[in-house]
Amino acid sequence: MATITDQGTAKVGAQVGRSVPRLEGRDKVTGRAEYTHTMRLSGMLHVKLFRSTVAHGRIKSVDTSAAKKLPGVAHVVTIEDVRKVIPDPYYGPAFHDQPILADGKVRFVGEPVAAVLAADPHVAEQAAQLIVAEYEELPAVYDEVEALTSKVHVHDVLKPAGTFADLKHLKDAKGTNLALDYRLRRGDVDKAFASAAHVFEHEFRTQKVLHLSFEPHATIADYKDSGVTLHTASQGPSFVRTEIARLLGWPENKVRIKVPYLGSGYGSKLYIKLEALALALSMIARLPVKVALTMEEMFYQITKHPSTFRIKSGVDKDGKIIARKCEVYWNGGAYADIGPRVTQKSGLTASGPYDIDNVWIDSYALYTNMTPAGALRGFGVPQLVWAYESHTDMIARALKIDAVEFRRKNLLREGRPHPTGTVLKDAAIEKVLDRLVERINWKQPMDRGTGVVRRGRGLGIAIKAVISPTTSVAIVNVSADGSVALYCGTIDMGQGSDTAMAQMVGEVLNMPAESVRVVQRDTDVTPYDMGTLGSRSLFHMGHAVRRAAEDAQEKLKALACEVGEPEGSNIPIPALFVKKYGMQAGNVIGTGIYKPDYVPPAPGTGLSSNVTPFWMISGAGAEVEVDTETGHIKIAKLISVLDIGKSINPKIVETQISGAALMQLGFTMFEKMHLDGGQVTNASLADYKIPGFHDVPTAMENLTVDVTQSNGPFGAKGVGEVSTFCVSPAIANAIDDAVGVRLMELPLNPESVLRALRVKAGKPLGDE
Amino acid sequence: MIPFELAEPKSLTEAIKLLAPDDAMVRPIAGGTALMLMMKAGVFHPTRLVSLGKIEKKYSGIAAGKDGLRIGAMTTLSALEQSLDMKKLAPVITRTLRTLSNVRVRNVATVGGALAHADPHMDLPPVLIALGASMSIAGPSGERELAVEDLFTGYYETVLQKNELIAEVRVPSQDGTRAAYMKVTTGSADDWPALGVAVALQSDGNAVKSARVVVSAATSKAMRLPGAEAALAGQRIDDKILARAGEAAANEADFIADVRGSVSYKRELLRVYIGRAVRAALESGAH
Repeated sequence: MATITDQGTAKVGAQVGRSVPRLEGRDKVTGRAEYTHTMRLSGMLHVKLFRSTVAHGRIKSVDTSAAKKLPGVAHVVTIEDVRKVIPDPYYGPAFHDQPILADGKVRFVGEPVAAVLAADPHVAEQAAQLIVAEYEELPAVYDEVEALTSKVHVHDVLKPAGTFADLKHLKDAKGTNLALDYRLRRGDVDKAFASAAHVFEHEFRTQKVLHLSFEPHATIADYKDSGVTLHTASQGPSFVRTEIARLLGWPENKVRIKVPYLGSGYGSKLYIKLEALALALSMIARLPVKVALTMEEMFYQITKHPSTFRIKSGVDKDGKIIARKCEVYWNGGAYADIGPRVTQKSGLTASGPYDIDNVWIDSYALYTNMTPAGALRGFGVPQLVWAYESHTDMIARALKIDAVEFRRKNLLREGRPHPTGTVLKDAAIEKVLDRLVERINWKQPMDRGTGVVRRGRGLGIAIKAVISPTTSVAIVNVSADGSVALYCGTIDMGQGSDTAMAQMVGEVLNMPAESVRVVQRDTDVTPYDMGTLGSRSLFHMGHAVRRAAEDAQEKLKALACEVGEPEGSNIPIPALFVKKYGMQAGNVIGTGIYKPDYVPPAPGTGLSSNVTPFWMISGAGAEVEVDTETGHIKIAKLISVLDIGKSINPKIVETQISGAALMQLGFTMFEKMHLDGGQVTNASLADYKIPGFHDVPTAMENLTVDVTQSNGPFGAKGVGEVSTFCVSPAIANAIDDAVGVRLMELPLNPESVLRALRVKAGKPLGDE
Repeated sequence: MIPFELAEPKSLTEAIKLLAPDDAMVRPIAGGTALMLMMKAGVFHPTRLVSLGKIEKKYSGIAAGKDGLRIGAMTTLSALEQSLDMKKLAPVITRTLRTLSNVRVRNVATVGGALAHADPHMDLPPVLIALGASMSIAGPSGERELAVEDLFTGYYETVLQKNELIAEVRVPSQDGTRAAYMKVTTGSADDWPALGVAVALQSDGNAVKSARVVVSAATSKAMRLPGAEAALAGQRIDDKILARAGEAAANEADFIADVRGSVSYKRELLRVYIGRAVRAALESGAH
């Protein structure tokens, strides 16, 4: 087993640290890259889904007779048909709670109830509209705080999957919507609150938003009795294989998962999504079957967690935070998906990047009657930072301490224990704050604006632990002509991982990254990887790739020795193979495995001496202009500063930082799924808007601090999510700075701002 | 999409014959930017679409005369955006088109479609109403004239019969008119507006002789605001007059709430934007 003290022998050189243009870029911009959504197999049937129109109800009947009669319809499938091929048709990463099609009950508007298969997708669509279902409507629960004590229960019995130790106690639990309660207990918060000079308590909320990857979810299943192949837009083919094998009761080697490039994912394509349904339908049809969602249907697949965060801090007379109590409610929707892991893995950093002796964290994963929620670029951390960095600013303001000064007084510093008990290492919180203060000119007075436009600035800092413990495996194959292929399961979904991994191989084997072939993901070919998620890949897979390349290097050296080359020989690789095999023949295969050391949080206290192999550190600063007559906010400047260790590819790092910050800007300023009785009323891109070019801040800076992650591959660590963390509180803090109003709920849209301004002025807007 | 008949007549007369006065499943299609979305969303299943793409070329042209501009209904929005005649006659239209949806939509969407679709969020109708534009409407029994302000009856509703087509739009001469259109979004910058305000003023410096004021997007249809117009007419513009006009507008417009804002909020927006639009028009210089 690997240990995290192994840092590899390769030095940063010609390949690592170079802004290599994306290897797949040309194929993508010329329309030649392959995607599941546009893929066709011979004889393939298309699927259209009939979805629930009620949020919670017992299914009285599903009448498929008219749909079946429509010419061109091959099959109309309900859960009864699925059960004939998969007797226990429930799936999910944390709980086996999600039926392949609604089973007896529906639990959210949009839940698939029946599937129509036809060679012509338009026929399938027309037939799906002929299906009629009758429901006995049940009371529904939508709010995450209500869900904790509600008499309405989304599931009758909880069914943990068995993969996570901290969920086992929920097996067969009844009469609850609680899918995980993570707790952290450090010191004695009650005693500390009693002795505090000041106590502050606030509640913050976030709204329901979604990933909206450019390529909607798509899976093609091709089932044969000898084995099944799935072509799927997935961020985690290894998990899909395990789950499909479990549903079939088959060994994993009969299940093949192929993943071409992804038109982005952001966490929406993790674990298992359409794959179980596609499998069942292909088993029934005995043909390849494609399930591909429209943009509109993605509103019923997976979203980000809405949340409520009650945060309370005790501060002593010197401005030192001595106690913090965090209660976080995660609105997980109708099926748990990976919500319990979001609850725990982000929950453990809910008290922020601060050195606090007494910390109490309760983090609750809750079922509600809405579209399921999962990971979205930050695994819950953006929701937490929104609350704790707004709260931190409010305390500083109330105590009349400069917001930066207050943070400095309380900062968690290198070598000090994080509230989990894990000692902070390679976490450049102070450097990030310093750079932010410098770039936003914090120490200089700013132009506060005139007339109806008022200006202000704000900032925030954050910490995240990486999802742990997880494993990555890589293979480097050196062919007899000296060319090299890399086999790794990390999915390139636009983040540029293929390029970065090729750079690491090139670095070790001393060849241009552009000459390294990165083999497309195929579980028959590419080895295990836990998943492309949570900014883990560059670190975990990076180590595996580095080790595989170093292993190949060692084997080439051994081969040289074996054929009689002198020590230190620089014989070209093709000549080496010829010397060994008498012709251009043979391979050298290097392998690498990486799994970091880890100590699981202790039950009851959540404490751990080694909870993460690396910390992600993020800061953001914003300058805003507020139109006090309309509430419109203009972002004049948005600065992101990150500790990501060394940059493997600086240009890709920069675009990852700007991309993630802009994505969070949409979630901060206007994105919102509007819900009415569980029905999404703006489920289309006409009414749900994401940022466009005109929403980009006037000035944007995407920066990293100059540090090395001492246990990272070539000094690097993950970047994909990190600049999402602080955008929301930085802007809310800037708005408060500009006009003296505090918004406690996202999004910070113009109406919310104007309403707050009017309340402050004693002239509140009406409720019409 | 369920199969349907696509007719491609060569003349406007032939197109009208192919339409059905009593069948909502037979519709004309011009640029298709709105209709295709409705078909994709499954809310409209045509039995026949009558494409106007191959009718006489004269319906896609812009002609300048001494009494103004005649714009064929099949003129694309980008052709209108790039028309020097249009820019000369009423630069407010050129400016409006720059932020109307996006270039891909403008390249195919047509002037006639932008009116007949009657979505209250569209940018062109309030501006055309403010400028006093009119249309000729062709039907089975010939052509009739109609002011654009009389076209809309409600949300997606017009006075057009199902077998009538807008043939041409006429924008009269705008001598001395100062005009502005304010598009107010509350989501992304390229979202549909939460509010549109168009004003066209006859003025001498700061002194307004007469005003046409139109609200859109926040209401179920683009409509003139006579109270606001009266508050401005014959007045020298200052903050007090603008506040009075804003108040009149806020009181007379019939707001609807949606994902872009509540009624209360849209009322505040209109109150403020009446003044901003008038000031923008005065600063824009005379046409």
